Amino acid sequence: MDDDAVNDFTELTCTNLMIKLKILLNKLTPGETLAFVATREQVDNTCAPFSSNGYHVAWDQDAENRYLVRIGK
Amino acid sequence: MKHSALQSSTFFFCTPLSHERIQWCTECIASGAGGTPDEKGMFTVFVTGDALFSFVDAQSRDAWNALSEVPAVQIIADGDELRLHGLCDSVAKGSPGITVTGRGGGTLFWKQLVSHLVEEWKGTKKGAFLLCHPPYMSRIPVHMLRFLSEAHAAGLSPELYAYLDGVHNIHNGQRPSEFENIGRTIATISMTAGERGKDPWFAACSRCATARGYFQMNPGTGYCEPASCIDEITIRPLKEILGRFSGYYPILSHTSVEIVATNRSRDTETPPRLVIFITNPPYGTEWTFGGLSLALATAMDGIPTTVIFIEHGVYSLYGTHEVPPNDKVFNVQEMVAATGDIPSLCYLVHAPSLERRGIAVEDHLSGIQEVQNTDLAGILWDQEFPATRILFF
Repeated sequence: MDDDAVNDFTELTCTNLMIKLKILLNKLTPGETLAFVATREQVDNTCAPFSSNGYHVAWDQDAENRYLVRIGK
Repeated sequence: MKHSALQSSTFFFCTPLSHERIQWCTECIASGAGGTPDEKGMFTVFVTGDALFSFVDAQSRDAWNALSEVPAVQIIADGDELRLHGLCDSVAKGSPGITVTGRGGGTLFWKQLVSHLVEEWKGTKKGAFLLCHPPYMSRIPVHMLRFLSEAHAAGLSPELYAYLDGVHNIHNGQRPSEFENIGRTIATISMTAGERGKDPWFAACSRCATARGYFQMNPGTGYCEPASCIDEITIRPLKEILGRFSGYYPILSHTSVEIVATNRSRDTETPPRLVIFITNPPYGTEWTFGGLSLALATAMDGIPTTVIFIEHGVYSLYGTHEVPPNDKVFNVQEMVAATGDIPSLCYLVHAPSLERRGIAVEDHLSGIQEVQNTDLAGILWDQEFPATRILFF
């Protein structure tokens, strides 16, 4: 999965985003990055906690309440 | 560690009961209730609406009659609904072990149910209903109103959680020509309870409300706002609604069970365990996704949660599901596989449902434990938990 395939996950609930990320990250090979757009609440509650599970998590603000998130192994 | 505790179990059925469900349910209850009430506690089954037809159905009436002879079991049928459906005489003659409530203008059955739940959940201040059905097409919102009205009349604060198609009940401007106005009655219950010093809490799931157009983005603020909704119901994230599930009080749904330990001191600190039965095929309706989402959210909140695939729900674990590239549905099998490591969550599958359909669980999901009816009874009436809620999706 490359950075140019950017999904917009802003409509997902935090629970469903967590499930989606777990599914997508399971398919990720070492060195690959998953990129997607999320809200501030999703970044804080769902994305950031993946950093404690061996993933590298980074994000940049794209617009009001929209963040481009990158998670890699 | 196992405790020896008497448990009171309350079953509530108001949707059609298939022969298959009657069979496994009655076998589980009979297995759980196989003793005297002093040994096993009481098992009380409240039946109303379309579930009443199962009392006269040739395929299921014998199972009901056998169950009604178990000393620890009491079956209570809604007399007003039996009369509405023309079933009263046949049930009275054919099933003498079933208690039929008297004529009560649609309220006696509900008074008895609320009074029973108040006795079971000692000290409870609330009574809640998880509503997953839309108004008018379904009569379940009417049952919800009867329950919440009687809960309020009994001095409880009413709570309503609208989920899946249940969010259609929040639409404002409802004006049915023939049926009870659901939106107006919800508003009245909420207002009256508030005026009497109670704390009504009526909420609708934001994901379900957004999907159905009741929660729309304001481009100016970047946030969603209610659209065409009655004021008495607040749209909230599911996580916030499920935060209520850690409370010690009954939460009814269209088909639900409440199990409470009655001979121990009331434990209001431990959140009630949640058991979710997934009974529908995976993609034809929102039931499976809705049930799994709810289960995962409660498990991630630390509430012990067990998901049991049963009846047509076992098709979720059969074959290998492949979602076409342009289809936006969640792959149910991927959901299950990706979440098996959540500590508070346990997946099980009902072996008799698999056998009845002649199918087996797909190899890559074979870690999911198969359970027979006697195992299921042991799991449901596990005395380690002070209270258990069981919901059907």
